[in-house]
Amino acid sequence: MKVSLSSKRKNFLAFLFLFLSMGGLSLLAKEQTHEMGQKMTLLVLQLALIVITARFFGIIFNRFFHQPRVLGELVAGMAIGPYALGAISLPFLNSPLFPRGEGFLPVTPELYGLAVIASIVLLFMSGLETDLPTFIRFSLVGTAVGVGGVVLSFFLGALIAVLLLPGVDSFISPAALFLGALSTATSVGITARVLNERRKMSSPEGVTILAGAVLDDVLGIVILAVVVGISRVQAGGSEVEWAHIGAIALKAFGFWIICTVLGILSANRLTRGLKWLRSNDAIAGVALGLALFLAGLAEMAGLAMIIGAYIMGLSLSQTDIASELRNRLHGVYNFLVPVFFCVMGMMVNFAAMKGILIFGLIYAAFAIMGKVVGCGVPAYLMGFNLRGAFRVGAGMLPRGEVTLIIAGVGLSAGAIGADLFGVAIVTLLIASIIAPPILVKSFDGGSGLRKESLLKKEERGCRIKLEFPSPHIASFIRNRIIEAFENEEFFVHRLNIEGLIYHIKKEDIFITLQQKQGQIELSTSEENRALVSLIVMEEILALKDLFEAIEKVKRPEVVCEELAVGLLSDEQEKK
Amino acid sequence: MNLKKVLSPEDIIISLEASSKEEVIKEMVDHLYRRGKIDDREAALRAILEREKKMSTGLEKGVALPHGKCEAVKELVAAIALKREGVDFDSIDGQPAQIFIMTLSPLNRSGPHIQFLAEVTRLLKSKEKREKILQASSQEEVLELFCS
Repeated sequence: MKVSLSSKRKNFLAFLFLFLSMGGLSLLAKEQTHEMGQKMTLLVLQLALIVITARFFGIIFNRFFHQPRVLGELVAGMAIGPYALGAISLPFLNSPLFPRGEGFLPVTPELYGLAVIASIVLLFMSGLETDLPTFIRFSLVGTAVGVGGVVLSFFLGALIAVLLLPGVDSFISPAALFLGALSTATSVGITARVLNERRKMSSPEGVTILAGAVLDDVLGIVILAVVVGISRVQAGGSEVEWAHIGAIALKAFGFWIICTVLGILSANRLTRGLKWLRSNDAIAGVALGLALFLAGLAEMAGLAMIIGAYIMGLSLSQTDIASELRNRLHGVYNFLVPVFFCVMGMMVNFAAMKGILIFGLIYAAFAIMGKVVGCGVPAYLMGFNLRGAFRVGAGMLPRGEVTLIIAGVGLSAGAIGADLFGVAIVTLLIASIIAPPILVKSFDGGSGLRKESLLKKEERGCRIKLEFPSPHIASFIRNRIIEAFENEEFFVHRLNIEGLIYHIKKEDIFITLQQKQGQIELSTSEENRALVSLIVMEEILALKDLFEAIEKVKRPEVVCEELAVGLLSDEQEKK
Repeated sequence: MNLKKVLSPEDIIISLEASSKEEVIKEMVDHLYRRGKIDDREAALRAILEREKKMSTGLEKGVALPHGKCEAVKELVAAIALKREGVDFDSIDGQPAQIFIMTLSPLNRSGPHIQFLAEVTRLLKSKEKREKILQASSQEEVLELFCS
């Protein structure tokens, strides 16, 4: 049998050799390989510079300017991108490292593709970070905030175009519509990263911003679809077909609502299916694959890919594998996300800003006002105080990938020129640069909620406190308790390196364990008190056995003496 | 957690004959042994009695949860027993125990064993539920009360 297999393999190799030896085919393959090799070499070199520079700038901004790393990553992109240092021709490449792309995007499709994947990972993780019960509780205010921001921004954006741009005289002119649409989208990515760094992702403001920003993106894309529809009809000299516009809008909203509801309802079943893999790495890989799949579906439905990825993350956020997924995908996230922001920074074309800078600044100011007021007022009316309303407004400021998509579509459709594309970039830049520091600063101080009762509801539950004579004993018992929960098929996730805080999850059971010196505190809902008490009780009783067993062992000093003997003996002496 | 996955009506002893803590445990272990759920009666009995030695599993309000880990079982097994007159079980509140939930789980095997006990404890928090269980006249009725 072995002989037969070996001879088959030889035949196959001989065939492969003959096939590859064929002259014409070989030449073609060589050319393609050479071209592909060049492209890949460029991509790898670009990526190397992006990864290193983004990290470097991120650390500098974080450590020396006390700003979020996002900002450093964006500035890194601006500095090394095709409109700045990246345009300088390098002798060993015979071309610039970042040659300008031929289409509306200044970077190569390969690099842009990586940025798109990074944005999918970013939004998938943002979805996973979302505390769904809080999300649902704040979805009403999130919707009000999102709609408020979109309506006012769109109106102000279009108004500025009508008032200041020559040749634009009505709200339904393509340029006015595009400038309106451009000011609607919010970049969840930048805000999510800042919220994550400040550990405010699950705060009422955080969830409201995320709910509102996601809705903004959905509305932004729907508006884009509608605006493109109107522009095309107008360009053809016909009347606007409302039925067509309605159909586009319905499809976009339909995808969002159906996928979110289906995702949340089927999350537990999906989790059970994933657990069949019996490998946490495989579970994380398949979950990320599903996020990419839903992102693709979202794009096919006429929405942004990031929305599909966010829905997937959101659906899995309340399952017991969410912490494990975050844990496993953290490395991918840390590698790719700075690439996304750096590439975003590369889109900034300094030359395009010159001619239209004043208009761009006025437009940006109104776009910022539209968001702060448009989002802040509904937030204030729905339970936030002024501080909280401002945080929500500031969190909705950053523009990002959706703005770029809208601008790109407008440019390719001929609705806006390179100058207005530059305006979009100026706005994106200003809003994105001023938003993170404002957002960081705004989170100093107390609660942003007017109705304090909302917070009290969150805190209701039970706390089990255990005191031990030393931190060493507490650490030992903490590990035993964690092991006991794992044996009960719970997922345990350590939140950060600095503090000893653990999230212990299984289906709808959620427990927090924290160790402070010699004290262990377990928090959970009143409903799960029995479970926590019984597990801890059994572990402490099991320790009794352990201590009894240790007493039976030889005295520690005897064991140590045995270990110490012979430490200084010479090999030759032994002989 | 679905208790019906672990329990069936035959796992319920509607009226125990035992009149002491040890007799209750023996009668319940024997019941599980007769049902073929335990391979080694002595090992199972030893595991439960050893756990009782460390601390009584008699909780409050007439509920006791005798349990243990041993190689005599391959998966989580459970039994429920009632003794309306009550038996002294060294309970925390000093009151006689009337409702007994026994579990045996394999050594060194992970599974939702404590979660089962916690779920039962949560159900028995209600005074009304406890009273209804004690008034129940059939195994099916008791199981239904535990699973509803």
